[in-house]
Amino acid sequence: MAESSADHSRLGRVLEQGSTALALAGGLVLTALMLMSIASIGGRWLFSKPLPGDFEMVEIGTGLAIFLFLPTCQLHGANVIVDFFTTGLSRRGQSWLDAFGGLLYTLVAALFAWRLVFGGLDYLRYGEKTMILGLPLWWSFVLIIPAAAWLALVTAYTTLRHVQAAQR
Amino acid sequence: MSGLWIGVLGFAGLLVLMALRVPIAVAMIVSALVGYGWLAGLTPLLAHLKTAPYSLFSGYSLSVIPLFVLMGMFASEAGMSAALFRAADAWLGHRKGGLAMATIVGCAAFGAICGSSVATAATMAQVALPEMRRYGYSGAISTGTLAVGGTLGILVPPSVILVVYGLICEQNIAKLFAAAFIPGILATLGYLVAIAIYVRRNPSAAPAAARSTPEQRRRGLIEIWPVVAIFVIVVGGLYAGIFTPTEGAAVGAFLTFILALMKRALGWNRLKRALILTAETSGMIFLILLGADLFNSFLALSHLPDALASTISGLDLPPYLVMLAIMAIYIVLGCVMDELSMILLTLPILFPIVMGLDFGLPRAEVGIWFGILVLTVVGIGLVAPPVGLNVYVISGMARDVPMSETFRGVMPYLCADAVRVFYLVAFPSVSLWLVRFLG
Repeated sequence: MAESSADHSRLGRVLEQGSTALALAGGLVLTALMLMSIASIGGRWLFSKPLPGDFEMVEIGTGLAIFLFLPTCQLHGANVIVDFFTTGLSRRGQSWLDAFGGLLYTLVAALFAWRLVFGGLDYLRYGEKTMILGLPLWWSFVLIIPAAAWLALVTAYTTLRHVQAAQR
Repeated sequence: MSGLWIGVLGFAGLLVLMALRVPIAVAMIVSALVGYGWLAGLTPLLAHLKTAPYSLFSGYSLSVIPLFVLMGMFASEAGMSAALFRAADAWLGHRKGGLAMATIVGCAAFGAICGSSVATAATMAQVALPEMRRYGYSGAISTGTLAVGGTLGILVPPSVILVVYGLICEQNIAKLFAAAFIPGILATLGYLVAIAIYVRRNPSAAPAAARSTPEQRRRGLIEIWPVVAIFVIVVGGLYAGIFTPTEGAAVGAFLTFILALMKRALGWNRLKRALILTAETSGMIFLILLGADLFNSFLALSHLPDALASTISGLDLPPYLVMLAIMAIYIVLGCVMDELSMILLTLPILFPIVMGLDFGLPRAEVGIWFGILVLTVVGIGLVAPPVGLNVYVISGMARDVPMSETFRGVMPYLCADAVRVFYLVAFPSVSLWLVRFLG
């Protein structure tokens, strides 16, 4: 038992570090979008020449950043719940309910990851591109699908943690 | 079974899941998927999911949200609340209840560069809480003031909640910000009056602190001008149409970042923390946005919102009575659930109802005015018992003050809030005056 919990904590560390790395990468994407917007506004104002395709870059970048943010959000328990109706429950009962919620999120995350694969394949097949820069859209799915799969892994782990807490 | 009943069942299922501690966003997604699949069939559902999350997350208009969150995190990690609190303290601290007043004014000023109430409350607590306790302020008033002051983070523009309202209801964000300005100042003044009345009745709860020298007062004002400048550039530029909301948020985040670097207040560790906190908050918001988006696609399929809106407008109730009833619903709902989820779930139903009523105002103005009213009740929900997010945050920081004390400290401010809600409902021109003036 002690060994398995040590395994879980090692798994937990890997997931924590991985999710932090993803979140920081997303933060850097966001910061880059910020700088690009500044450059575009400056160009538009000074030379009436905005950066071409700046809106597209913001769209693709934000889409990517949010997927990179979700695992950290779940791992740090930042997703809001209503605890008003269950405060009278024992800690054990609450943990079982949290495990149930975690299980639902795991299913949803896995479903999203699975469907995104087909979304990306559709974009690839039909050669879907952005309007101005002509960037192929399937490209960002190469990064988003692993992030969604990682999210499913993280949600499964948090579910497991709640089950353990309920049994303790 | 008719679509309407499936819509009602979907709502019931959502409420049950939420009550069972399922994360609100996940509860929305699950009930939406079941309902959507039931109404439209499994194949259309699976096809919808191929791109739905990506399309939502990568919408240009929504990109304003993480950038405003980033701006607020830069501001709070760089400790800009300290300068604002000191400046207000220099002018107000020597009065009875003066430190509480300084906290409120500092929060209002911080709200001008931060659009989140939790971030405002938490960052102001770091400087104001030790100061108030040092001068012997009661636990109730020091924590209650911080919890309430935090709501000024959203009441004073820029405001993430107002941005979300604008996106959902297709209202002009620059106009919403302009409209929120005077109500934000009114909220601040109302809280100051509440403190003044409270300390008259409980003089020992908030004793006077040291008086500052004229030199300290002058220096305080010099410290805060960059914050004023950022606010004017962001909101002014947005209003003048120089940039889009997303670009405005980018400019604000950039200027806040530069200011933090100039003050040498943002080292690598704090920068990293700001990015991680931005990830948590943005992830939380976007998961709820996704849940609400899916849930509302399902509701639209069920035709429940149209049916409700036409029923209510068919009843021919007095419009202002309906508005007060909606405010009451929001205050009750806000007592048990998260405010962002609350407005995302209810607006698709309530907004058409409101727009169908005749308040003697142009439709465009009703949309703006309702946004300010929603913002006001959201602020109340953040501090009202039994569940107030800001109160939780402050209680987590002030371990020696029980949460019931904090809720007690919030009460005088809630009286000010009640007056303000009534005032804003009865006199739409308070919210609309600046919008009309700016044209």
